[in-house]
This record gives sequence, structure tokens and C-alpha cells, in this order.
Amino acid sequence: MKWNRFVISMVMLTCSLHVMAGDSLDIGKSKFEQRIERKQNVWLSLIPTHFVIQNAGNMGTLSAGIGWSYGKNRKWETELLVGFIPKHDSSRPKVTTTFKGNYIPWKYDLSRITGKIPEDRWRFEPLTASLYLNTVYGHEFWKSQPGRYPDSYYEFMSTKFRLNLALGQRIECKIPEGNRRRHSRIALFYEFSTCDLYIRSMFQSSDVKLKDIIGLSIGAKFYTN
Amino acid sequence: MKIMKVELFKPLGRTALTIVGGFLVHLLSSCSGFETHPYDVNIKGETGINAKQMAIIENEFANKEELRIAFISDTHLWISDARDQVEDVNRHNVDFVVHCGDLTDTATKKEFDWSRDVLMGLNCPFVALIGNHDFLGTGNQTYEVMYGACNFSFIAGRVKFVCLNTNAVEYDYLAAVPNFDFMEEQFTRDTDKYDRTVIVMHAAPYTDQFNNNVCKAFRRYLDFAPGLMCCIYGHDHNDTVSDIYGDGLMFYAIDCAKNRNYRIMTIKKDGYEMEQIRY
Repeated sequence: MKWNRFVISMVMLTCSLHVMAGDSLDIGKSKFEQRIERKQNVWLSLIPTHFVIQNAGNMGTLSAGIGWSYGKNRKWETELLVGFIPKHDSSRPKVTTTFKGNYIPWKYDLSRITGKIPEDRWRFEPLTASLYLNTVYGHEFWKSQPGRYPDSYYEFMSTKFRLNLALGQRIECKIPEGNRRRHSRIALFYEFSTCDLYIRSMFQSSDVKLKDIIGLSIGAKFYTN
Repeated sequence: MKIMKVELFKPLGRTALTIVGGFLVHLLSSCSGFETHPYDVNIKGETGINAKQMAIIENEFANKEELRIAFISDTHLWISDARDQVEDVNRHNVDFVVHCGDLTDTATKKEFDWSRDVLMGLNCPFVALIGNHDFLGTGNQTYEVMYGACNFSFIAGRVKFVCLNTNAVEYDYLAAVPNFDFMEEQFTRDTDKYDRTVIVMHAAPYTDQFNNNVCKAFRRYLDFAPGLMCCIYGHDHNDTVSDIYGDGLMFYAIDCAKNRNYRIMTIKKDGYEMEQIRY
């Protein structure tokens, strides 16, 4: 009985080894080469997969940055943007940075609607949901209440950091492989966003309506993956 | 497996498309436009309000014998209460209104827009002081564009109203707040045009915003004010009437919008009456 078990275990182990061997492409490579390659792959994954530019959205008149799109069907994106707020009536122009996460659950191939569009060329993404943290720079803004105030003098956390929420849609064009020069796909998007302070104000006053606190943004993304 | 996915996706996709699309189109049709930043100080609409309104007040009521002034304060985000307040003030037939500060809660440009929108509903002239909440972020810059200087004064019916910025903590005590030079200038200039003085401020002496090191010096300076009548302030969200220094100078607190009451001051030739109005 025990011997039987041993054989089964050994068979299963060999099977799994076989599967592992099939998965790996660098069977002929030395351990050192494999290790280096793995390490390089980690660093390679840090190379941004896209460039993004957008206006408004409580992060400046215009913001631009880099991003990484990943996950199954590239449903997830992380972006870093730098925005610019003009002087307007204030004492000086301001710079903001934004750390943004996007979730794009559905992709809809437009060739399914009409045959005129080549397959897998234009994709409509009916929903994008984003959460982003905006930081505005300047001595006017504090990240947490300065010591001069008594404890929890101003209830809300910060004038420097704003947590924003956005919902939108986008359309993506996959550039045919032969025509690619710099990018593999381009996406155009719009989104409606609002920030924590505005949501708070809506809860505080029934007079503040949803339409008073949402703003529109439009933008484009240029992908290399 | 792939076919299954498509079959599942289609009905789900259509419903999702309709719901999400419909919602987004609804937002598109109602949204207020591109939003740069809550603290962008990009002011649209009426600006320099205090200067314009003070000109009207000084013009209309220069020699009026009896004045009726409504004092309101601390709107914060109680916007619907503030709207009711404005409606009530409109029914009381006052000459002008003074807002004692805290027009906003977090000093975003939008909040300044909202409170201005409420105050524009008044059927008489009005001025507004800056409150400590109006300083947050770039709020003081927004206030200065929308309303004007943080210290200001005007004369109506031979009474001078000196409106003082007393939010010292917002400057970490580094600025001249309260500004004694401004006070002295006010109490010595145009003395032929007025006989009595009313002091208005956001935070009263001995509160958490006032520079409490100068409370007594402040009181001394008030003695220079010709015919000093009383002091009126906001900030505390209550309706206290007190003789803070114990020397007979009365301090009237103006309640916040949420507590739904305010005061009307009637200035007569031989004195004044202070009336608390609930609505």
C-alpha cells in the first residue's frame, strides 16, 4: 500500500516537472541566465506602457503623464500625472501630481455591430472607473492640520490631498501591426469626476446637487503594449 | 469556452451599455463643465462685492436718521438654511446686511460661489467679512477677489462700521491681526462724518482664533473709536450676549445658519436696539 502511494507520488511529481518544463522557454539556459532574465523581466515591467494626456478633472487645466496597463485583458491601469493650474486670480500658478488607478471592466469589439469595421480594430469600453489622489504644491496647502490649530479644528483631513472619483467611457483603436510607428493602440476617453470635499458638501447640504459637483474631462492615451 | 463568454457578454453588455450610457449622458447634460481644481481661484461672476455694496450703502444711507441692519454669520455648508435666512431677512425690511464671516466650510471656489449665490438673493445691499474657514487653501485669495480687503469700513447714518479681520491663528500669528494701524486710521479719519462706531469681527477676543496676547491691547485701542456702541461677531455658533471685558462694552454673537436665528440692529438717534430673529 505504502509502496503504491510512493509510485503515484513519483508519477505526479514527474508529470508536474514536465508541465513546468513545458512552461519555461529557457530550458537550455543556465540557472544564472534564467535568474538574470527573471530579474530583467521585473525591471522591464516597470517601463511605462502608455502616455496619457487629459484636461480638467480637479488636477489642473492640463495634465500629462505615464501609465502602466496590466492584468487580464488589460483591465487595470495605474497612472502618474503632472498637472498645471494657471495663476488665474491667485498669487501664482501651481503644479499638481496625480496618482490614478483605472478599472475598465468591459471591452466591446465594434466589428460585432457592423461588418464594415475590421475585426479587433475599434473597441468601445462602456465604463471606466477611476480613483485618484491629487496633490497640489504650495505653502497655502497643508497635508495635515498644522500644529497651530487645536486638535481636530478642521474636521476634514487635508487641503493638499484630494481624493477623486471618476466614471467615464472610452473608445480604443488598435493600429494594424503593419502601420505601427510609435504606438500599438490609441484610446480617447471622457470622464466625470468629483472630489471628496464636494461629496462631503453634498452630504452636508441638500441644496448641493450632483450636477453642481461633477466636472467633465477629456483625454487621450497612447499605448505601446 | 470562448463562445460561452460571448453569449454571456452580449445580454449583459447591452444592459450595462444602456444603464451606464444613459447615466453618463445624464451627467453630460447637467454637468457644470471642466473643473480645474477646488482651489484654482478662477473666479467667474460678481467680484469686488464689498466695495460696490459699500458705495451703495454710503450713498443711500449717508444721512438716514434711523438704520436697520441685519447681522448674519457662519453660513458654512448649511446652504438651505442660509436661503431661508435670506428670505426671512428680505421680509424684515432692513437697510443693509452684514455677514460676519465663514461664508464657506472648506473655502473651495465652488463654496464661495454657492454662498455668494445665496447672498445675492438679498433685496438690500450687503457686505461680508472673512471667517477662519474662508482662509483654507487659497480661500483668502478667493475672498479678496470676490469681496475685497479683509479689513474695511463704511459710514451710514453718521455711524461708522469698522469690520476687522481677527483670524490671527490662520496666519500663525505672523501677521498684524488684528491690525492696530488700520484701527487707528479708522478712528482718526473722517471724524467729521460720523459720531458713533460699531465694531464687527469674525472671532471675538479670547476665542481660539483671536491673538489672545493682545486682547487687552485690543480693548484699549477700541477706546479710540468715537462713540463706540458695541461689538458684533460670529465664529462661536451661538447667540451669546456678553460683556467680555466686564467694563460695559457689549459683545453680540451672531449665530450660525444652522441654528436658524440672526440679529437685527436698529440704530436710533439716542441709542440702539438689538433684536434676535428666529425663522
